[in-house]
Amino acid sequence: MSDAALPGGSLAAVPRAPAPPARFERPSPLAFLVSLVALAFLAIAVDGVGVSPGEFVRGFPGIGRMLAQMVPLDLSRLAFVGRALLETFQMAVVGTVFGIAWALPLAIVATRSQTPHPILYYTTRGFISFARTVPDLIWALVFVIAVGLGPFAGMLAIMVDTIGFCGRFFAESMEEVDRGPQEALESIGASRLGTVVCAVLPAALPALINTALYSVEKATRASVVLGLVGAGGIGIELKVAMDMFSYDQAATIILAVFALVFGVEQVSARLRRQIL
Amino acid sequence: MAAAPAQAPHAGRADLEVRGLVKRFGADPPILDGVDLVVPHGQSLALLGSNGAGKSTLLRCCLRLVEPEGGEVRVLGQDVRRLGRQALRRLRSRVGFVFQRHNLVPRLSALTNVLHGAQSRSRGPRAWFQGLAPRALREEAMRCLELVGLAHMARQRADRLSGGQSQRVAIARMLMQRPEFVIADEPVASLDPAAGEEVMRLLVRLLRERDLTLLFISHDLRHAVEFADRVIGLRGGRIELDGPAAEQDPGRLAEIYE
Repeated sequence: MSDAALPGGSLAAVPRAPAPPARFERPSPLAFLVSLVALAFLAIAVDGVGVSPGEFVRGFPGIGRMLAQMVPLDLSRLAFVGRALLETFQMAVVGTVFGIAWALPLAIVATRSQTPHPILYYTTRGFISFARTVPDLIWALVFVIAVGLGPFAGMLAIMVDTIGFCGRFFAESMEEVDRGPQEALESIGASRLGTVVCAVLPAALPALINTALYSVEKATRASVVLGLVGAGGIGIELKVAMDMFSYDQAATIILAVFALVFGVEQVSARLRRQIL
Repeated sequence: MAAAPAQAPHAGRADLEVRGLVKRFGADPPILDGVDLVVPHGQSLALLGSNGAGKSTLLRCCLRLVEPEGGEVRVLGQDVRRLGRQALRRLRSRVGFVFQRHNLVPRLSALTNVLHGAQSRSRGPRAWFQGLAPRALREEAMRCLELVGLAHMARQRADRLSGGQSQRVAIARMLMQRPEFVIADEPVASLDPAAGEEVMRLLVRLLRERDLTLLFISHDLRHAVEFADRVIGLRGGRIELDGPAAEQDPGRLAEIYE
């Protein structure tokens, strides 16, 4: 097609346009230096953890032997495994529900636009950050010392972990909701609580439900591990089976855990689709 | 909702008095630079001005949704700058505010959104959700929806309503509030011309029936002339035009946008 055929006539008639910008921006010296330092740290870290593809490949026969000893499954303790699994799930559910019950009011206070006072805002933010940054396994150790061995310690660990996790994401969800309905409620003369309940929570509800469901999934996985430190559940059974080289029994437990986690994720996904 | 008595007790009173109002955002020049305005009770007043002229800021200063910096704002006889939190809430409950973007709570039903208007006078969860509301409040909310022609959509979620329907629900919420003075910030700006005309006509009719004062922003000069008793033009943070709507011609009004 010639220029003359273009709508509006020849391109020659178009005034000279400025040159297009560079395809990629040249990084600043500081950004370049930071990237170099990050790469150097990664290289040192790879060396530090002793990454060895050879050793990894040499480990395959060991894995093969273990897998071979896992079949046939040992179903002799199936009823016991089932009870331990139920206890694990109970820990996860109760810990999550109690955690969410605490996280919601804390998150409201930790939301900049809803907090009654800046001091309360910073205090609750600090508490939520602390609850989140300490790993759940550490919380489990603390609560085993506090309340003794068993599922109650595990439930408490999951509850505190959920407060940290949900508290942060609930607060962020509430920060992000449209200000319009809140402004409408404020202009009516609604109370602060009325504005939160009627405008903020309904708008943030999809994100809150999403976070809560993910929290149940996370707690179910965590509750298996918490048993390793004596905080109840099926984790301790798995550890004993592995320590005794009873891989057939360990395989039964692993499959049971897989079924539980998979089931929880499926139900969670279905609920998410239905509610949201 | 009962119609206003023939002889209004507040005849002759100014519902809004603004003296020397100043507001600036950050280091920018003041968006409101000494605004003086008196709106007598029962008047319908259109506020015109180009984008950024300070119209919405002026309206928000009336309820301290934006904090004024200088001057005096008296709404329904009260100096809003001197009010404490509780007193400000009580004053806000007496003033209806219709927003450009409707500002309904999207996941809640039309009926619940209307019911929220009762939070002006009802504390606690009774006016939070229609499931918790007493019969009298639910019936009043239904009457408000009926007034805007949407009683049949009471259970519809707000985010599934059309723009015109949403704004009518917002008007019903304002009626549920039982306001004494109504402010509307470009109430039909997000609607198509036919829906805008319909909503504006409905709003003005409902307020005239109740002998309520209306202060509204509009970019539609025809609306300003047709629905207002008086027209105010804001430019550069000051009032540049003020006169009876009947005496304005669109050509002269358009000058306020230059």
